[in-house]
Amino acid sequence: MSTHKSVRLTVKRQNAPSAESYWESFDIPWKPHANIISCLQDIQCRPVTAEGKEVNPVAWDCNCLEEVCGSCTMVINGKVRQACTALIDQLELPIYLEPMSKFPTQRDLQVDRSRIFENLKKVKAWVPIDGTHDQGEGPVISDQTRAQRYVLSECMSCGCCLEACPQFSLDNKFMGAATFSQVRLFNLHPTGAMHTEERLEAVMGEGGITDCGNAQVCVEVCPKNIPLTESIADIGRQTTLQAIKNIFQK
Amino acid sequence: MPQRRKKIIIIGGGLAGLSAAMKLCERNADVVIVSFQNLKRSHSVCAQGGINAAVDAKNEGDTPEKHFYDTIKGGDFLAHQPLVRDMCHQAPAIIHLLDRIGVAFNRTEEGRLAFRRFGGTLYSRTAFAGATTGQQLVYSLDEQVRRYEHDGMVERLEWHEYLSAIIDEEGICRGAVLQDLRTNKIFSVKGDAVILATGGPGQVYVRSTNSVVNTGAAATTAYLQGAKYGNGEFIQIHPTAIPGQDKLRLMSESARGEGGRVWVPRKAGDNRDPMKIPESERYYFLEENYPLYGNLVPRDVASREIYEVVYSKSMGIGGEPMVYLDLTHKSEEYLQDRLGGILDIYRKFTGVDPKKVPMRIFPAVHYSMGGLWTDYQRDSAGFIDHGSPRNQSTSIPGLYAAGEADYQYHGANRLGANSLLSCIYTGLMMSRAVINFSDNLKKSYTDVSSTVFDQAESQWVSRFKEIKQMNGSENPYKLHKELGDAMMAGALIVRDNKTLEKTIASIKDIEVRFKDVKCVDTSNWANPVPSFINQLSCMIELSKIIAKGALLRDEFRGAHFKPEFDLNQPKNFDPYEYIDYLERKENREELSNYPEGHLEYMQKFEENNKKWLKSTIAEYKNNEPEISYEDIDTSILTPRPRKYD
Amino acid sequence: MNWLTRDQIHYLVLKTHSLTGLVPVGAFLVLHLFVNSLRTVGVWQYQLSIDLINNLPFLIWIEIGFIYIPLLFHSAVGFYILKTGTRNVNVYRYPRNGLYTLQRLSGAVVFVFILYHLGTTVVPKLFNGKEHFEAAPYLIGIMNTEFESWLVRLIYIVGIASASFHFANGLWGFCMSWGVIVGKNAQRNASILFMLFGLVLMFMGFATVAEFSLNPIEVSPTVPGV
Repeated sequence: MSTHKSVRLTVKRQNAPSAESYWESFDIPWKPHANIISCLQDIQCRPVTAEGKEVNPVAWDCNCLEEVCGSCTMVINGKVRQACTALIDQLELPIYLEPMSKFPTQRDLQVDRSRIFENLKKVKAWVPIDGTHDQGEGPVISDQTRAQRYVLSECMSCGCCLEACPQFSLDNKFMGAATFSQVRLFNLHPTGAMHTEERLEAVMGEGGITDCGNAQVCVEVCPKNIPLTESIADIGRQTTLQAIKNIFQK
Repeated sequence: MPQRRKKIIIIGGGLAGLSAAMKLCERNADVVIVSFQNLKRSHSVCAQGGINAAVDAKNEGDTPEKHFYDTIKGGDFLAHQPLVRDMCHQAPAIIHLLDRIGVAFNRTEEGRLAFRRFGGTLYSRTAFAGATTGQQLVYSLDEQVRRYEHDGMVERLEWHEYLSAIIDEEGICRGAVLQDLRTNKIFSVKGDAVILATGGPGQVYVRSTNSVVNTGAAATTAYLQGAKYGNGEFIQIHPTAIPGQDKLRLMSESARGEGGRVWVPRKAGDNRDPMKIPESERYYFLEENYPLYGNLVPRDVASREIYEVVYSKSMGIGGEPMVYLDLTHKSEEYLQDRLGGILDIYRKFTGVDPKKVPMRIFPAVHYSMGGLWTDYQRDSAGFIDHGSPRNQSTSIPGLYAAGEADYQYHGANRLGANSLLSCIYTGLMMSRAVINFSDNLKKSYTDVSSTVFDQAESQWVSRFKEIKQMNGSENPYKLHKELGDAMMAGALIVRDNKTLEKTIASIKDIEVRFKDVKCVDTSNWANPVPSFINQLSCMIELSKIIAKGALLRDEFRGAHFKPEFDLNQPKNFDPYEYIDYLERKENREELSNYPEGHLEYMQKFEENNKKWLKSTIAEYKNNEPEISYEDIDTSILTPRPRKYD
Repeated sequence: MNWLTRDQIHYLVLKTHSLTGLVPVGAFLVLHLFVNSLRTVGVWQYQLSIDLINNLPFLIWIEIGFIYIPLLFHSAVGFYILKTGTRNVNVYRYPRNGLYTLQRLSGAVVFVFILYHLGTTVVPKLFNGKEHFEAAPYLIGIMNTEFESWLVRLIYIVGIASASFHFANGLWGFCMSWGVIVGKNAQRNASILFMLFGLVLMFMGFATVAEFSLNPIEVSPTVPGV
């Protein structure tokens, strides 16, 4: 049993993308098994700051609340993670909540992560099929390859790896670990591999694989334990070979 | 002149919405896909265990017909049989399609699809990608849609909310009113048809296995606009979930499919460390009561058993409403490979490693078998006419529904791993219906007067203005929690009419108090509160459908359990006796030689089916759901008593 | 022939940065530290090697082509890379992130050190117009004077440590960038191996500094009387 009677949440707030940010604190009654989400829900039910001022409830994104949708990613006590798995009893008090800093803030803890999805488009992160009509079984794939692909395909585009990456910033072009890992994922599929070259070319420019600084924070903060640094090294290898091929074969 | 490309508006980016988008793009339609968040974050990602298809990869003699039988029986014969049969026959092709688009399904040694067991069947019929199958399917379909987006055929309206359909003077749906959740601008979109793939209504209960967006508001709005709502009272309670403050997180049925065993200590209030309780002092109640299906009985059965053990027998762990789900007899490597995703969730939220210590679980609201009434066309042979524009159409022409938002596939109880199938099946199969519908229209949306759209739009603009002006004393989020409490109290695993009447009274009370709600945020940018208040009003309407449907249905069917109306199936009853009984009756033979009590039971059963083997239809009349009943197509399999032991 | 696109140039520049760090810049560092460390083995071994190198034909072109230009290129791109990142090791305290920060810091330090080092060794040579074969006595003279000061000893210690680290860690980065190592274990093992190698380099450098500081010896030209 914890002895705290209440939990203090200090939230970095911002009313609109161009507005100034400011901090507000809230005291929330402690409850067993509470997480950041349940605390934010409590603020919704009683949007009053620690000073007793009535304010607008905090706006944040969340959906599944079980760490598979990636929605509720935010910076909690300085580190990026999902709010749903951030259990109050495991956090240092008071708790500081901030929006991710590498994506444009929309409001309070909400950010716009469309850049991640634009990057997925750039690297053609899909398997090109002829059509959805019944064409029989798919390609035979060994279970080892499946296992390798599965861990990569658990990426929920939450953006943790990008937020924590020293090379990824609000305004540069860096694609980041998540994107490189997806390139690897699709190059590992027998049909996906038919677009290998296009995918590699897409990460062989500004913002591409060469801009990785190997700080390897990505793999430390990935909530899904995706071997991002292996993906980076592997894409390093694939692009190197592609470059050699481009120079000597084309 | 080349034909104008069709423009279809899809609401919802889960499995049903994404598969419809993919198929419609393939059929050269322009697709607008609307979602609260990035499509990749839709609730379908929460599906864990797998997706059913009778591929018979293990040579057990499984066939789509058996899949069909299991599904119908699992749903207590309340589903429309031609549709379910078509779905089960399409299932293998759907699995192969998913495999082709790159879903990381687990594989056999030969590199082909692996299948595992699931509830309500004796066959290994469930294809799976670890324990995050839903997530994997959403991602793969999302990728296919992204591919079409790359080619300019899909417009993604993420961070947008659907407010209502736009219905013209002829009663045809011509588009949708949307709200941009960033700018809070309300605007209309025109289209040839609108597809609601908006999922279930778990938020009506507040704490469920559902995601935050699953308010059921879109389907309810359609109901308020005149669409019929079917089987609302059939809410599936999943037997195994992890209790939590903000959510009851799902613990997949695949945990039992992979050998998980459910038990409680034989001695009530036994507080020992579960690993120290010897085998002989454990009560494996599902295995003992259902020797044939064991831990893999359908969900309604398992939930009722857990409820019985915990509340009637007071045998919950340490006196609390929880039972053990035990996987500790399996090797850690095996568990990580097969169930890693869900076991990690359990560990992260409870701090206990389920590979070493049995999990503590309890049932939670999970899925709505009911939803918007949708149509279909069967041909004379009992097959589905795939070209018919009626398929998946709601009672408003041009407004379609798919996935959990529809009502036809799971009857009174859904079998595990059938939801992913029904979502993708409906999404794919409806595309022809939608295209043919818009081809057949005499007048296209381009010819509809712009006042129709302007009116719909301005109606919502003023509605939101009114909401923002609400300045009463009730906090909408608190009121929502109270609605959840009311529903949890009355419309859960065990139902009785007195409690349901109380629930209905509580809902009425909440409805009155809703008028006194305060819009706690009146700002004009990315303001979620007015939206939520609108959703809350929808949830109140939806809770009325569920509660009233439950109150009026005086029987025990699937997930709708009213002990008062339990026909009390005799212990040694064999469902085939009932078939025999019907045949004898048909042939006017003598009805004797049945064991004692069986004949009375069968007569009661037949009587009950005559009255209640019908879909509940709710229509919005005078601010109330008006309930009527509609026959269902049971032309293929004779409805008979369910039995799993 | 098609002109390279902006993206292709970017890729080539950064790849070349990575490559030049290994050869020739890194290779030169190893050679340089090794040859100088011969001073600890014996004066004549040192003198012989220095004179051999300094009397290579076309030395100035070799120096420009294989040292100065690659070094300048490596440094320029290095500073560009430094500018593109925002260090955050204060928040994300993971070993690799620390090394990431150190790599950038050490790069900058080495650059300044090299300027200093060239300033005290090569630049005077340009003005004095000394002949090549007098390299050893000339350089040893400079070193003997320099290493009398504790400050200079410190500068060299920092410079050598930074250079050894930058090279050893850079070697690992090279292997990542070119995909020589991929797996998690391979990455870890390579990292340990390269760090050990870096320590060896650093030890050679430190030993040389110690030798110059503690044991200053005058030498005469190899070919006397010129």
